[in-house]
Amino acid sequence: MKGKHLSIIAKKEFRGLINERTILLAVLLQLFIALFSSFLMVGLTSMYDPSSISRYSHYRYSIAYAGNESPLLSDLQASTNFRVYRMDLSTAVAALGERKLAAVIYVPDTLPDAQDPVKITLYTLQNDLQSAIVDVKLKDIFLQYEKNLREIRGGRLDIHPLPLQIPTSTGGGDFYEFVYGLLIPLLVFMPAIIASALVIDLITEEYQHETLETLISTPITFTEMIWGKVLACELLVPVQAGVWLLLLMLNRIAIENAAMILLQVVITSFILILLGTLTALHYRERTSAQFIFSTALVVVIMFSLTLTDNPLNLITRLAVGTAGVEQWLVLGATIIIILALGCITHLYAERIAKTHQTS
Amino acid sequence: MGTLTDIATIARWEVKKSLTLMSRDTLPLAVVLFILLVLVTGFTAQTGLHLQDGMYRVGVDDPQVAQLIAGDARFSVYHMDASSLGINRDTFDVIIVQGQASGRGTDKANAALKTLSRDYGKYVNSIYNTESDLFAAYPLWIETESVKSELSFLATQSGQYISINPRRTAPVPDQAVQNIPTPSPTLSISEDDLRAQLVQSNAQNTQISRYTEALSSGSAMGNFKTPSQLSPPLPFDSIVLVFVFIFPLYFTSQFFMMSIMNERIERKGEILLSTPVKASSIIIGKALPYFIGMIAICAGLTLYLKAPPLIILPLIPIIFFFLANALLIGMLSRSFKELSFISIFFSTVATSYLFFPSIFANVHVISLISPLTLIVLSIQETTWTTTDYLYSTSLFWLTGAVLFYVAARNFKEERLFSEKKLVTRVREFLSEILPARYPFSSLFLLSGFAIPFVFMVQMMCLVLFFNLPMPYSLVFLLLFAALIEEFAKGIGIYTLYSRDAAFFTWKNLVIASGVTAIGFLVGEKLLLFVTLAQISDSVFGSILFLSLGSLWLPLLLHFAGVLIVTTCLKLGGKKWFVPGLVIAMVVHCLYNLYFILGWLV
Repeated sequence: MKGKHLSIIAKKEFRGLINERTILLAVLLQLFIALFSSFLMVGLTSMYDPSSISRYSHYRYSIAYAGNESPLLSDLQASTNFRVYRMDLSTAVAALGERKLAAVIYVPDTLPDAQDPVKITLYTLQNDLQSAIVDVKLKDIFLQYEKNLREIRGGRLDIHPLPLQIPTSTGGGDFYEFVYGLLIPLLVFMPAIIASALVIDLITEEYQHETLETLISTPITFTEMIWGKVLACELLVPVQAGVWLLLLMLNRIAIENAAMILLQVVITSFILILLGTLTALHYRERTSAQFIFSTALVVVIMFSLTLTDNPLNLITRLAVGTAGVEQWLVLGATIIIILALGCITHLYAERIAKTHQTS
Repeated sequence: MGTLTDIATIARWEVKKSLTLMSRDTLPLAVVLFILLVLVTGFTAQTGLHLQDGMYRVGVDDPQVAQLIAGDARFSVYHMDASSLGINRDTFDVIIVQGQASGRGTDKANAALKTLSRDYGKYVNSIYNTESDLFAAYPLWIETESVKSELSFLATQSGQYISINPRRTAPVPDQAVQNIPTPSPTLSISEDDLRAQLVQSNAQNTQISRYTEALSSGSAMGNFKTPSQLSPPLPFDSIVLVFVFIFPLYFTSQFFMMSIMNERIERKGEILLSTPVKASSIIIGKALPYFIGMIAICAGLTLYLKAPPLIILPLIPIIFFFLANALLIGMLSRSFKELSFISIFFSTVATSYLFFPSIFANVHVISLISPLTLIVLSIQETTWTTTDYLYSTSLFWLTGAVLFYVAARNFKEERLFSEKKLVTRVREFLSEILPARYPFSSLFLLSGFAIPFVFMVQMMCLVLFFNLPMPYSLVFLLLFAALIEEFAKGIGIYTLYSRDAAFFTWKNLVIASGVTAIGFLVGEKLLLFVTLAQISDSVFGSILFLSLGSLWLPLLLHFAGVLIVTTCLKLGGKKWFVPGLVIAMVVHCLYNLYFILGWLV
């Protein structure tokens, strides 16, 4: 195998990508997703953790209080989040339906130390983004009231849980787990997935466009051609992943160990690209190869996620700066898998090359 | 009759061909992979996903607390005495000394504290669940009742959702007050049932369960919740489910795309084209199996999820639209990698168009521009009307039909087997539907039929900019709406110009601009009256669709816009197309500002 031949093939593929301007589409796609990132941040984060959206609004909401007097009323009135009106239940619910109120609370006349629980009825707007925020704010007040009631009834408890005081965090940290524990690993691995789909395209194309004969008639061997294509796809990974990291950093998301993250992604993406290569060599036809590969990809990713210290988890830990020595072990294991897959790919390519020669 | 037999024959061939293509151990392997997938999913459900393991470092002085926290894999727990914790303070995100947790004040530490308090809450609940006096441990219960309401589009002009400016006196409802029965002060469920439910809900992984519960008909606990269970009603639940329907559609349209592409590789489809079968019959015949297959997948999923069968209706135009795009992408791209990138790009854009509006389901009528919203509504058992259906699907039907027409006109040798660049090919495709014999009438039709696409892209912008604060969203919308319209009007002229620059004498230039402007106006009016009356009432609508009141002013504007672009083309050649568009956009924006918002008056 000659290095010069590999680079010729890799250069040819790059030229193809640039000539067709498909690379432009890839860049456009990346920008498009980046444009939506503000929405991603708010929308998807709230999907992931709906209570976080309450930080986004500092409005004072109008709510109605119906029914009997209780300590809850003064708690609500003391809150800066709400403006409380004493209202008749029916009128209040009608006003709620017209969005003149954010919520209606009805409180019965159960005593705090009664045998029965205190049952409050809460009326809110159905499936509404704003009412989700109101719910979160009300929840805090309800929790406080529950705590008070629990203290009053404390004598009736058999076991008391271990005491632990946790300070209520003052802002920040809402998006942390979403960004570092989901967004970063997914975005950084996306180029690896794109690259492995690309290698299938590049290989099956030679078969289906019947350009293979011409290529093999040159001094470049079949195996060299395959490795050249793998190389071309592999080189795309750090570029794209690097752009993602840069975009995230521009979004003021601090990422630690960016270089290590790139190294991990580049190494791990090799596995996916080699898997793609093997699938393409086997089927030599795009539809089947892509279909089988994408299904297999889901299985592989799902399975690797069930392992502790999987590469995706490692990206998370590197980004937040809690990765230890285990990252080198994982890297080592990944390299062993790559070597094995690489050998298989090489042997398989050689075997196919032989059948090509005889035919 | 002959056409129908042709279509049936082609459809049969298509099925047979894709099955023989699949025969090379693809199907058995697919089955194996599917079984593996089910196994892995089951395994994942058992072991959990180890994505966020070891994110935080916590130092603890009490072994019992350490054990408690170590239950969450997100924490790496270090047990040491209080003094060494103090010395190594900076290596930990959170330290817990004598039952008091404290963070380092960083974002990460705050996130760690949040996770910690959630975990602790779970632990406390697990203790309280075993109390003999359940109502001492859980003294407060909340019954939740939801009230339906839909915001009119006009309300967003002032940027408010719920009334948020409290007044001195209590609000008074405008409409008649219906009598609401006083809620009963007692829980209608026995203590044992409540306990069982509490234990169960505490054991659940809420991250996953809240998505799966969207379809299941609520727990036995009904609407009763303790304060800590009071997580907000999610408008997102059903949307996640909707993805289950959309993803198989992407896959299947990929197969269609590939089948079209395969005809073009090495001119394999030449034999088919040499038969007397019409191009449209070939296209319909080839698309039919995929169409039926996609409907079958959706129907199967509906049955499996026990979702209301009505959700198939909004899915049909989506399928139609996907197939039309797949057809065109398969016809346009020269290589597999181009096919991959274009289809990834298309699916991202289509997903955002479908997905983002439906987040606002129930909140805002704007959500109805996506057919997915209808599915969300169906899952929630909210009814929708035929008008709603027309409103949200008409753009998909129309654009799908136009794309199919363009594809049918171009489904012939010289287009399918050419190796030119993408932009050139798109231009050639358009050129095909602009016959040289009727340049003006075809320009008229082209700009008329461009309207559904213009609306679609503008809707996309509306959704995109809807997230921005009020003045910016208007400014961006203003600029982009103008640019998109000018582009749509200019594209036909550009195509004609590149084919035959000599055609554009000054007289022809004026006529061409005129018919384009009229076509655009007619298309705009027609579609507006059919569908978009609701949105066109708002400020956003007036920017997007100009005023409906007078006819000659918008016509003049459209004419001026096209004329600018055409003149630039004539004087400066093809490279002046983009500058011409920009000038036209500026003129368009000034017009909008002047007449609609009155900012310059």
